[in-house]
Amino acid sequence: MFEKDIYQLIRGLRSHKGNEREYIQDSLRECRREIKSQDMDHKATALMKLVYLEMFGHDMSWASFNVLEVMSSPKYIQKRVGYLAAVQSFRPDTEVLMLAENLLKKDLNSPDKVTIGLPLGAIPHVINASMANSLLTDLIPRLSHSLPAIRKKTIVTLYRLALVYPETLRPAWPKIKDRLLDENEDPSVTAAIVNVVCELGWRRPQDFLSLAPRLFELLTAGGNNWMAIKIIKLFSTLTPLEPRLVKKLLPPLTSIIKTTPAMSLLYECINGIIQGGIMEAAEGTTDGDEVARLCLSKLRAMLVVEGDPNLRYVALLAFAKITSSHAELVSQHQDVILECIDDADISIRTRALDLVVDMINANNLQTVVERLLKQLRTAGKAPEPTDPTTEDRGTHDGIVPRADEDDEEMQASIRPKEQKPNTAPPLPDDYRTSVIERILEMCSRATYAHMSDFEWYIGVLVDLVKQCPSSPATGNFGSHHTTASKDRPPNVADAVGAELLNVAVRVKAVRPDAAAAAQNLLSSDRRPDFFPSAGSGGQAVLASAAFIAGEYASLLPDAEAVLTSLLQSSASTQQLQASVLASYLQALPKLFAVLTTRDPHAPWTSTRRTTTMLLIARIVHFLEPLTLHPDLDVQERAVEYLDLMRLAAEAAASQQTDDDEESGGGGSSYAAEPPLLLTQAIPSLFSGMELNPVAHAALRKVPQPEGLDLAAPINGSLQMLLRQADDYDTDTDEANDEVYKFYYDKPSSSVAAGYQRPAAELLEPPTSASKSKAASASYQDAETEPLDREAAERKRAERRERYKDDPYYIDSERASGTSTPTPMHNILRSSSNGEELDVDAIPVMELQLDSKDIPAAPRAPSANDKKKKRPRRHFEIAGDETLEGGDDMPSVSSSASLSSKATAGARGTKKPSLLEVDSSGLSALSLSDDAAARSGATGRFDVERRQAEEEEMARAIREVERLRLEMQRAQERIQPRGALAEEGVVVTRKKVRKKKKVDTLSEEPAAAAADDDDGEEGGTAVKKKRRKKRKEGGEDSVASEKPAADERDSEVPVKPKRKKKRQVTFDDDDTVE
Amino acid sequence: MINAVLVFNNNGQPRLTKFYTQLDTAVQQRLLSEIFTLVSARPNSACNFLPLPPLLAPSTSSSSSTAEQNDAPSLVTYRHYATLYFILISTSTESPLALLDLIQVFVESLDRLFENVCELDLIFNFETLHAVLGEMIVGGVVVETGLEKVVEGVKAQGRVAKRPVNEGRVGLTQGIWAGR
Repeated sequence: MFEKDIYQLIRGLRSHKGNEREYIQDSLRECRREIKSQDMDHKATALMKLVYLEMFGHDMSWASFNVLEVMSSPKYIQKRVGYLAAVQSFRPDTEVLMLAENLLKKDLNSPDKVTIGLPLGAIPHVINASMANSLLTDLIPRLSHSLPAIRKKTIVTLYRLALVYPETLRPAWPKIKDRLLDENEDPSVTAAIVNVVCELGWRRPQDFLSLAPRLFELLTAGGNNWMAIKIIKLFSTLTPLEPRLVKKLLPPLTSIIKTTPAMSLLYECINGIIQGGIMEAAEGTTDGDEVARLCLSKLRAMLVVEGDPNLRYVALLAFAKITSSHAELVSQHQDVILECIDDADISIRTRALDLVVDMINANNLQTVVERLLKQLRTAGKAPEPTDPTTEDRGTHDGIVPRADEDDEEMQASIRPKEQKPNTAPPLPDDYRTSVIERILEMCSRATYAHMSDFEWYIGVLVDLVKQCPSSPATGNFGSHHTTASKDRPPNVADAVGAELLNVAVRVKAVRPDAAAAAQNLLSSDRRPDFFPSAGSGGQAVLASAAFIAGEYASLLPDAEAVLTSLLQSSASTQQLQASVLASYLQALPKLFAVLTTRDPHAPWTSTRRTTTMLLIARIVHFLEPLTLHPDLDVQERAVEYLDLMRLAAEAAASQQTDDDEESGGGGSSYAAEPPLLLTQAIPSLFSGMELNPVAHAALRKVPQPEGLDLAAPINGSLQMLLRQADDYDTDTDEANDEVYKFYYDKPSSSVAAGYQRPAAELLEPPTSASKSKAASASYQDAETEPLDREAAERKRAERRERYKDDPYYIDSERASGTSTPTPMHNILRSSSNGEELDVDAIPVMELQLDSKDIPAAPRAPSANDKKKKRPRRHFEIAGDETLEGGDDMPSVSSSASLSSKATAGARGTKKPSLLEVDSSGLSALSLSDDAAARSGATGRFDVERRQAEEEEMARAIREVERLRLEMQRAQERIQPRGALAEEGVVVTRKKVRKKKKVDTLSEEPAAAAADDDDGEEGGTAVKKKRRKKRKEGGEDSVASEKPAADERDSEVPVKPKRKKKRQVTFDDDDTVE
Repeated sequence: MINAVLVFNNNGQPRLTKFYTQLDTAVQQRLLSEIFTLVSARPNSACNFLPLPPLLAPSTSSSSSTAEQNDAPSLVTYRHYATLYFILISTSTESPLALLDLIQVFVESLDRLFENVCELDLIFNFETLHAVLGEMIVGGVVVETGLEKVVEGVKAQGRVAKRPVNEGRVGLTQGIWAGR
């Protein structure tokens, strides 16, 4: 029967190498049998084995009742096995827990001191709210147990009780506090209390201020470092509430920092000073300055100390906390912090990276980024992206208890392992991604506030493309900045591309450089340079590069080469992602337009015609296969542009050239013009307004004009019109075919010029003066004054004049009428209709790179100086365009506020972390000095409330009773009048009454009154109508209401008659419900 | 507070698992293996703090107030002694360096109880291992950091460490402190 004990199981496990699974299954079967045995010894042994196997992931929840049996064993040895099993295997849904309650109570009151320890250790693991209250009465007396060991465990157990049921802390806290204040208490009990108070403290620091003197005493008394650390941590939450503490704490903390041999205590002192805001609070005083200097020098020393990476790690954590308030102090130690970026340990690197991101300013940005870049360059990519599925055992079936592989090693006592390499591992891809993301974040922070050299930045971006990890990995390696990077595209190369594009759009001055960079990226002969591996690592950047090349084609150093590169990519189209290809397709006609119109005044010679035709032919050749591309976007664009190109080819072919004219003997003075399709129509497709960055929230801020009903059909007779149009279409296709006309009739030049007008003008009048101003918009901010309000005002007036008769133009002034110009009104007005489309009115702020005021003069890009580096060039950076007002969302940080909004939304549905013990219940529980009084008050209040509720209930019941009686009386009055059967009514009433009792009280009088009315008039008028209904419901109601009816003795005798007379019933409104 | 204490060997086989919240066995195992993956990849020269394993990583959408973060486990501290890894998962209210000392006290107590402890001792006496932990941490709160008192407390429970019979004990000298 009894197979093996725990040692035999373990030994057996070790000797069954290779078939452990089988062995375990066998053992589990054995355990199942043994645990049912009557012999408690066998039971306990089986349980012990189960607990051991549970550690390896073999569920033992099925044995929970047996656990309880063993727990209740009178023998201590068995009991403790049971308790261990309960701790290890009970889950929140374990049902036998309810049965355990009495056992726990009994063991808590056991005379045996050792036995008391068992429930004390187990309760924190199994406690739930319903148990907490009943166990409390047994736990509190344990606080004064003679053994310190039991006292301190009781304190902690009480704390866990309070976590699940905060009210339990109210009676327990005064006793715990007494223990803490008792100077003769065992020091280890005091330490345990301090631990608990520290856990409680950050939730409600104000309640613990009164303990400050005692805690201070304990801190200065010294002795227990662990406790001192906890006290300091507690104080760091108290100091913000009690500024006087700062002065008191400074001397002891300083002396601890100077004297303690324990590094942990030293560190926590510094940490406490930082977190408690002591540094800020004491700023200016000599002590404060001294302590700040002391802290930073100690932290610095921790960073440079040899051989202890832990200190480096925690020092970086501390530095990170200081940066938010004292960034300049931290950047003084930039040198040592930057060393940590290259630390061999990835944990340290990540911390350093986090820190550095917060630390950068205009001066150190380049240094830091160069350093990170160098790291990326030199580290080399991870040899092969380590497949997480092979390495991460977490994704499959957990740990199989294997036979131990070599016992020698296991018996070897502890010596450092040498076999592990001490060199830096190759950078894992996620870290690499994370670094790239951070670089982008640092550089682009606050719309490039720290960026002083955009040419350099473009170089960095191009460099980053090479460093993109070959497999798309999401970053955030061990990062705390996860939310910040959440909105980014999944692939980091996308992010790099987006940055490149962002710079190109925002910083006009470096557009040529950006275009050149795009050309480099696109150029096919340099492809292996940038995208060495076959993986699609950096390729996503090509989409942005192609867009830049297309959009700013006129700035490209060699547009033709770019076009060639794009066209040659057809050789490798299979490798290009569809999104990249789509971007290529979009860029092609733009490039084409630039190439064909490069010299608008050049005569249309046959040479030119031939080159144009050749160009078209090449593009067509490229496009043709793509019309069958599986990606719909690519396919659509290919089809569209293919047709456009064919039209262009036709136009070019049919257009007479100079030479033709001459040979045809035309007038020699006449120079043939290139086809307008090429010079005007196609370019105008792509040259509209300047593309400007638009804030995330801008669209949302466009106010809906008054009187605009989006739901209303624009034209009520749309259907009719459509039908008419159908008819119309058939007979007048020629006149209607404007497209045909446009292409084949020689247009007058004004047609092309006017082509883009309406839409463009609505948004931005192409007056050159205003345009340059709008383009130079560098920063805008909801708070800043418009640069030139008057000018804008004037322009607005002009525009109003111009559009006075335009029905599509909604005038803000006109719309908002003549109400008083209060500030609110101004806000409303500024956010109302027409003006919103006025780009010029967006406030313009100059970019201030230095404190000096630099006029934001647009700098004409010239090809000559773009290679030259200037020490300080001032770039204008176009801020996001948005609309003022409407929303109080600051435009620049719109994405940030968006994300914060998202988090605010998410907070409600926040999923607690896996191991989290929720203590939020405690935050509502007050324990402060007058806790006793207050708790008394609230207690009384509770009682009062309950009493009030009960009274109300009683009153309601009385009321119901009264109404019932009234109705009965009323009915009795009715009865003699008409010879109506009261029986049916009685039944009805009963139903009503029953229902009312459970119903809310407020309905009662009304419902009762209604019933009364029905009772009166129903007898005369309504009865016939309702009879039918009544018959249907009758059967059920009789059956269900019989018992209720029986209770009312007086009615019982008449009951049988009911059925017979039912047809004359007059009131049934509630019965059938 | 401390959310979990884990001990496993160089192969990731658990020797002690203690979670101060009730957790499904399967989830426990996943967490264990995630941490093992992280910890086993670290060179000895690395520091003793791990990035959060994926299971514990804060759900990205919820970076809520610091108050709530104090409840969530945010610190994974480990120490490596010969064949064993000792891991503490804790919230930010604990001091990282102090936790390292706590592990040290834990191991020292074991060493005191077993006289030159090795992994085999812990395998065969995992009940004692639990008892030692129970003397130091109750419900996630540290109740004792003094070596003497821990040892005393365990001995008072009558859990005399039993050496497995027939198991050879080779080369257990040098003490557990040769590691870090």
